[in-house]
Amino acid sequence: MSDLDHLIEQLKRCEPLKESEVKALCLKAMEILVEESNVQRVDAPVTICGDIHGQFYDMKELFKVGGDCPQTNYLFLGDFVDRGFYSVETFLLLLALKVRYPDRITLIRGNHESRQITQVYGFYDECLRKYGSVNVWRYCTDIFDYLSLSALVENKIFCVHGGLSPAIMTLDQIRAIDRKQEVPHDGAMCDLLWSDPEDIVDGWGLSPRGAGFLFGGSVVTSFNHSNNIDYICRAHQLVMDGYKWMFNNQIVTVWSAPNYCYRCGNVAAILELDENLNREFRVFEAAPQESRGALAKKPAPDYFL
Amino acid sequence: METEVDKEILKSSGAELLPDGRRGLRIHDWEIETVRGTILTSLGVQEWEEKLQTSHLPEMVFGENALVLKHLSSNTKIHFNAFDALAGWKQEGLPPVEVPAAAQWKFRSKPSQQVILDYDYTFTTPYCGSELIEEDKEAQVEAKANPEGKANLQWENCEDQIDLAALSLKEPILFYDEVVLYEDELADNGVSLLTVKVRVMPSSWFLLLRFWLRVDGVLMRLRETRMHYVFGKGETPTVLRESCCREATFQSLSAKGYPVDLAVYSDPSSISQRLPVIKKTTQKLKIPRKV
Repeated sequence: MSDLDHLIEQLKRCEPLKESEVKALCLKAMEILVEESNVQRVDAPVTICGDIHGQFYDMKELFKVGGDCPQTNYLFLGDFVDRGFYSVETFLLLLALKVRYPDRITLIRGNHESRQITQVYGFYDECLRKYGSVNVWRYCTDIFDYLSLSALVENKIFCVHGGLSPAIMTLDQIRAIDRKQEVPHDGAMCDLLWSDPEDIVDGWGLSPRGAGFLFGGSVVTSFNHSNNIDYICRAHQLVMDGYKWMFNNQIVTVWSAPNYCYRCGNVAAILELDENLNREFRVFEAAPQESRGALAKKPAPDYFL
Repeated sequence: METEVDKEILKSSGAELLPDGRRGLRIHDWEIETVRGTILTSLGVQEWEEKLQTSHLPEMVFGENALVLKHLSSNTKIHFNAFDALAGWKQEGLPPVEVPAAAQWKFRSKPSQQVILDYDYTFTTPYCGSELIEEDKEAQVEAKANPEGKANLQWENCEDQIDLAALSLKEPILFYDEVVLYEDELADNGVSLLTVKVRVMPSSWFLLLRFWLRVDGVLMRLRETRMHYVFGKGETPTVLRESCCREATFQSLSAKGYPVDLAVYSDPSSISQRLPVIKKTTQKLKIPRKV
């Protein structure tokens, strides 16, 4: 058994790695990821997964349903970290699998794979709590800059974390982005990781926040047509039934964090594509309480005023 | 049950836990209960959107979650739920708050046709609870919609204050719970969260409904409603309610020398004093005699 296999076994038990092991793992991962395209080619059969958000034990349920890597070929659409209790173990397990089986798992970047966002939504604090320093957070966020921005399954299914950008008409325009940087606040790279489809607009919409694009059905139709793709598969938004089609099956949202934040009670899904791109959504629930390391906290009586 | 309460204390306080796995208790003519469920299903979202006449709801709406306090002999019910709170949001209809990145976005090249959405994505609500008198088991009539001549519930302004000193005494807590009514992550630009928590002691019940909003780098808004009821005090049972709205921009906090590091602003309880009070009202509700 190689050292890497030992690390994978350890991570599968949700035991964190030593800081030096994280550093070495990230260096190896960097060598692999730097070679990947911004539109990474993926062969079918493949199983596509949406947001995980540090819900390690629920990701183990995902592997139970979808099969282990490398027997199953996986594509994860980003948002591995933040919000859940085990962002460190979740991301490092996926990264270790990537290093061990580079052709059997593809990881693309979500908007949470960012220095700024992880400082607000949990990953930074978790690293600090578990390691007593921010070095592990630094190694991981440096790796985030190398993650690909999108994937293309058999030239037919375009996969991205958020959605489309008015600055992007063709896949070649995505290929031309210099991705090795922190996620910017605007521009094409930002849009790919942040934008959302929206029923009430047909073309482009601007979020009431004043930043963030929304795109409607005709935008998707024209993108799919120009790039000769069947549909877009994306994540980024919580959908109650685990997946949600929009605009006449031209785009699907896949969400893979069941019982999100340990209290929403939602189911999750993964999308299995066979060699002929026939699809099957596999819906699954959160890991039972007793299989978790720590019990979800009951509210403690509190003399609030 | 949430808490392991000593049976002797319950008994000596004249309280009994609700049967059949329900969360809550009966005490001095009150039945106090919390209800929890999952977030709305896609079908539920559709129904609520139609009823509320909106195409936007918070990402997480706990449609079944509720806190219900029922005064048994008068059939008066004070309750808290997401639907009424969202109806309040819809009615208040505040203008949207721009995030810091918006300044940069104004200089972006725009798509030729762009619709700017302008609903209040923060889901700020003036909600401070719902109340009604249940006429009988068949006909539940909303207090507000009560036809003339029927008993009406009316909150009246008053000078009384909630007795914080009494509430600071470490009386045993017979029942405690907190439920989320709705929550939105503002697409990772902060948090909008409406929760209600309750504690029941041998001498009184006390609750806190809290709307907490943080738009990262822009502003924080805290709208809190507290209700207190002291068992067996006076002839007419009276619930006291204090509502307090606080708000501050990150800019104004920074000007006062407070840190603007987001990590400091994750817990509203610990920073509420830093947010200036915008509005405060105290009211009381006299519970009517049996109809």
